[in-house]
Amino acid sequence: MQLVAQIILNGMLLGGLYACMALGFSIVWGVMNVVNLAYGSMIMLGAYVSWLAVLQLGLPFAVAPPTAAAVLFCLGYILQRILLNRLAERSVFMTLIFTFGLNMALINLNLLLFSADVRSLPDVFTRTSLSIGELSAPWSRVIIFGAGIAMTGALHVLLNFTRLGNTIKATSFDPGAARLSGIDVPHVFALTFAIGGAVAGITGSLVAASYSFSPFAGESYTMKSFVVVVLGGLGSVPGAIIGGIMLGIVENLASLLLDSGYRDAIGFALLLVVLVARPRGLLGKRFFAEVKL
Amino acid sequence: MRRIRACPWAEGDATTIADAQWPEYYRVRGPGGKGAILGLGAITMSNRIGRRSVISVAGLAACIAFWPALEVRAQETIKFGTALSLTGNLATEGKQVREGYDFYVKTVNERGGIDVAGKKYKVEIVYYDDESNVNTSVKLYEKLISEDGIKFLLGPYGSGITIAVSNVVEQHKLPMVVAHGAASSIYNRGYKYTFGVLNSIEHYTYNMVKMASEQSPPLKRLALLNENQLFSQLGIDGAAEQAKQFGLEVVYKEKYSSGTKDLSPELEKMKASRPDMIIAGGYTNDMILLARQIRQIGLAPKLLGYLLGPTLPGFVQALGPDAELTLEPVQWSPTVPYEDAMFGWTAKGYAEAFNKVYGHIPDYHPIQSGAALQVFQNAFQKVGGFDPQKVRDAIAATDIVTAYGPIRFNDKGQNIAKSMSVVQIQDGKPVVVYPADTAEAKLKLRH
Repeated sequence: MQLVAQIILNGMLLGGLYACMALGFSIVWGVMNVVNLAYGSMIMLGAYVSWLAVLQLGLPFAVAPPTAAAVLFCLGYILQRILLNRLAERSVFMTLIFTFGLNMALINLNLLLFSADVRSLPDVFTRTSLSIGELSAPWSRVIIFGAGIAMTGALHVLLNFTRLGNTIKATSFDPGAARLSGIDVPHVFALTFAIGGAVAGITGSLVAASYSFSPFAGESYTMKSFVVVVLGGLGSVPGAIIGGIMLGIVENLASLLLDSGYRDAIGFALLLVVLVARPRGLLGKRFFAEVKL
Repeated sequence: MRRIRACPWAEGDATTIADAQWPEYYRVRGPGGKGAILGLGAITMSNRIGRRSVISVAGLAACIAFWPALEVRAQETIKFGTALSLTGNLATEGKQVREGYDFYVKTVNERGGIDVAGKKYKVEIVYYDDESNVNTSVKLYEKLISEDGIKFLLGPYGSGITIAVSNVVEQHKLPMVVAHGAASSIYNRGYKYTFGVLNSIEHYTYNMVKMASEQSPPLKRLALLNENQLFSQLGIDGAAEQAKQFGLEVVYKEKYSSGTKDLSPELEKMKASRPDMIIAGGYTNDMILLARQIRQIGLAPKLLGYLLGPTLPGFVQALGPDAELTLEPVQWSPTVPYEDAMFGWTAKGYAEAFNKVYGHIPDYHPIQSGAALQVFQNAFQKVGGFDPQKVRDAIAATDIVTAYGPIRFNDKGQNIAKSMSVVQIQDGKPVVVYPADTAEAKLKLRH
């Protein structure tokens, strides 16, 4: 029983990482109807920026997440403003092709700049664990979980209680009407993509500090983000964390009780079940979840 | 530096053509350079047609001119062909592989070439870049054989690519010596033209398991975990076989999904089986996660081994103290006690000579590349010529000792004469701990 409790706790903490990954993916998809296949590579880029800042420039780790967020924010803004906005009026399929290509470009950019070697930031987080009764939780995972909650909260506040948030939502619901009301639609879209980028940057920093990474490791992050976002519900910021925790726990229980090889199979089976039973996802709102072709 | 050539079917004067574009080359030589292009050359020189057509005409002309030259030159230079992963996700390894090939070529050519039937032949390798992609590699080997007229192939990097490429060479009945494809599935298909100088994946853990059984008291309980992927699966299945052979009990054996971010369910179950030794195989990022979580979960095996990992760049740096005392089988290290019959150097001597040229001590990749070429060299000398079929038969009968190790093939084309050394990370550095005659340090148990 204690073993099961420990595995559920581990799954929950894993969910924190999943939530971090999925947040930026979710906001871009929910608001702009862009499935960003390059999202995992953006996380990797954030990890490399942190690695540069800490190991090459000798800055303290505390500087890394804001730096990575800033770099990815700018990159996101530029990409959306200059390239993606041109496709925004076209079909979803075009943006899929674009982000697929962007993913290739980012992978190879990382490869050129940083080589295929596996990297990480060692000794950033303490190696000790937090004890909760009989259970234990490594501090590095607790920190990521905390970051997931914090970023969810921050994005929730941003989208629901600020003028910028209202602008973003208004633009998302009806770009035409937003334009008529004097909203600079391309700018708002670019800002949204940039916010998604900033989240990827922070996630990249956390990944660098508690996992290891290489240019090609980004793909698994994109896949998981996809599942988490659909589970939690498109356009719902708290949905990312609910979906993340749910996926983490289900995967871990599947690995423990069934065969470990079934981890992904169970994760995707869950995705199918949710899609059939509740196409909007757990917390999804109706409008967001509709794919606008 | 030898480069990937823009027009590699031009066998004639390799360096001139490689370093110059076709029109320039043409201008240097002039139309009288080779008889066959005289007529076309006149048109070109008259400069009455546009630049584009000048280039294509000159190109065509030179190709025609040098086609017969191919046969003539082939007697002075032995050409090998290979496609390596010079870009893409295998680029790091691809570069090391190439350094090994280049170093052999440099060494042999500096010594005047290979002596075949009393005549000296220089060596040259035609390289392409497969971009770490199987489909590209297959096309490039087709090109090497059909367009470049290469008769002797060197293997690519990686098992997946090698499997695909071995189909191509088998069809054309041309011998290929593989230096970097360890999956047993490459050699298990009854193919006659593919040979591998390295130990196949199912033999990787042989010495590691043997070593565990020789401890006093011998280690008894073995836990095995691998990524759900062919290479790791074959390696770990091999370890399970060897456990039987050396009297260890496999108390846990499972596979995990690639790229997972939490291995705690697997490791908690493994912990309950109280293993003395763990052997794991998989993608480097996963193996780093595994080492961290083994500590976090409080697993305390006496030995912790990997199919691959501890000696790869980034592993020790990522893990710090968690990398301490991990084990990995390696194909070769500069401490192996072999002396090369062809070059006269020991393994250590090879490493030093290599270091002088490339500025770093080689791991097993470069010398493994060189060994593949030595197999060819030996076969040419045995045959006294370059008939592909005879060379293939001579390769099958190879029995040589190189600084890399002894090489002798079984009927599947696997090198069965060599064994793997076991390396352990001690104070952050890999040192050979087994077999005893190659050991640099004593094996340390973790608990």
